[in-house]
Amino acid sequence: MIEVRGLRVVLSPDTVALYGVDLAVEPGEFVVIIGRSGAGKTTFLRAINRLVEPTAGTVRVAGQLVTGADPSALRQIRRQIGMIFQQFNLVRRASVLENVLAGRLGYVPEWPSLAGRFPQRDRALARECLAQVGLAEFADRRADTLSGGEQQRVAIARALAQEPRVILGDEPTASLDPTLAGSIMGILARINQERRLTLVVSQHQLDTALEYGTRIVGFRAGRVVFDGPPAAVSPEVVQAIYGEEAA
Amino acid sequence: MKRAAWLGVAVLLVAIAWHTDASPARLVRGLPWMWDFVRRMVPPNPAVLPAALAGAVGTIEIALLGTALAAALAIPLGFLSARNVAPPALYYVVRTALNFFRSIDTLVYALLFVAAVGLGPFPGMLAVVAYTTTSLAKLYSETIEGIEPGPVDAIRATGATPLQVLRFGVLPQVLPLFLSYVLYRFESNVRAATVLGFVGAGGIGLYLQTYLRMIDYPSASTVLLVTVVMVMVVDFVSARIRARLV
Repeated sequence: MIEVRGLRVVLSPDTVALYGVDLAVEPGEFVVIIGRSGAGKTTFLRAINRLVEPTAGTVRVAGQLVTGADPSALRQIRRQIGMIFQQFNLVRRASVLENVLAGRLGYVPEWPSLAGRFPQRDRALARECLAQVGLAEFADRRADTLSGGEQQRVAIARALAQEPRVILGDEPTASLDPTLAGSIMGILARINQERRLTLVVSQHQLDTALEYGTRIVGFRAGRVVFDGPPAAVSPEVVQAIYGEEAA
Repeated sequence: MKRAAWLGVAVLLVAIAWHTDASPARLVRGLPWMWDFVRRMVPPNPAVLPAALAGAVGTIEIALLGTALAAALAIPLGFLSARNVAPPALYYVVRTALNFFRSIDTLVYALLFVAAVGLGPFPGMLAVVAYTTTSLAKLYSETIEGIEPGPVDAIRATGATPLQVLRFGVLPQVLPLFLSYVLYRFESNVRAATVLGFVGAGGIGLYLQTYLRMIDYPSASTVLLVTVVMVMVVDFVSARIRARLV
């Protein structure tokens, strides 16, 4: 579903975020990426849909080449990749429903959408996605009146509204307290199981990562240093990913 | 070092006072004349109230239409002069042009437009448009440069087109602030438009200037009072609306 080869990202001449990463994700996997801050987790996720421009290497999602795609082709691919973020990244002043409808932007006719007009089918779909995260009755509330956990559920509904093949999560629970973090990971796990949707999510809490992931990928200093099932994460592996000694 | 700087500023200000012939004694000598001026303005002449009100309406019309047009014209210019959304080449061109034109005041524009299209409220309105467009474009661009990048990333990630990103990621973040700036400029423009009449560009200033020239101080004071009330009412209403926006 996702095929990354030799992905190298140089953010500025003296900051290399990723030194040639290879990773293939199969359909239906729930990959959880772990590693210290600055290990390259965020850059890796953002390079998959080219919010960050890769310096070298190739990325394929659902068979389509992301790297090198022209702007219009890139948008066609992006709409199949939902993304959720640590800070939720909702448009605060817009209503909850408008935020979820944004997930349809890659599909609806452009000019009517600029006037705020969306086809009936897309509106219905947005409401359906909102119901799936248990927030149907919040549709008309302003996004910034919701709690953090609720905002992240709206962001998940926005990603679902894209009818995506893949959902990327950049530390989606890092701004939430542990209970809410568990409920967000639970919703993602349910989506993964019920829809067989492929998920790649970064997570700074090791125990949460091991509880929900079907596969763990450990990053350290811009390289993949572990790739395997949660059961294979031994103390030595943890040391290799998080340990203090020089990499 | 710090003391030397303060001393330098003080010396400079004294030098300027000498150069501009500013002297407290002259002010004191002028006080009786000012008092005489005020005394001759009382009581105001109620007969010119309808004319003064018509002038006030004209002034508000100039400010309202001028600000509204400028508010719209400044939107594309604001985006083109915002570092984080404009193409770099265009950014420098537009920003430089705006800085150039913003250095010209509304009253100077009024002189130019009176010369170009003749007397009346129309050149006054054009002058308001000219100055306000550049000043709002600057305020808009600073607002756009201060937006949160997160929601913009999120909208880009959905596969939205660049226009959709502006509409759904940027506009909702900046629009309430834009409106607040427009109202603020409207308040300033009502004040600026009161003097446009002095150069023949319409509004209440024309009446004030005419009565002063005719040495009809009671009528001039009616016009002045109407101006003060008009500006205060506009400021009050506009401030109330702005408080609700942000």
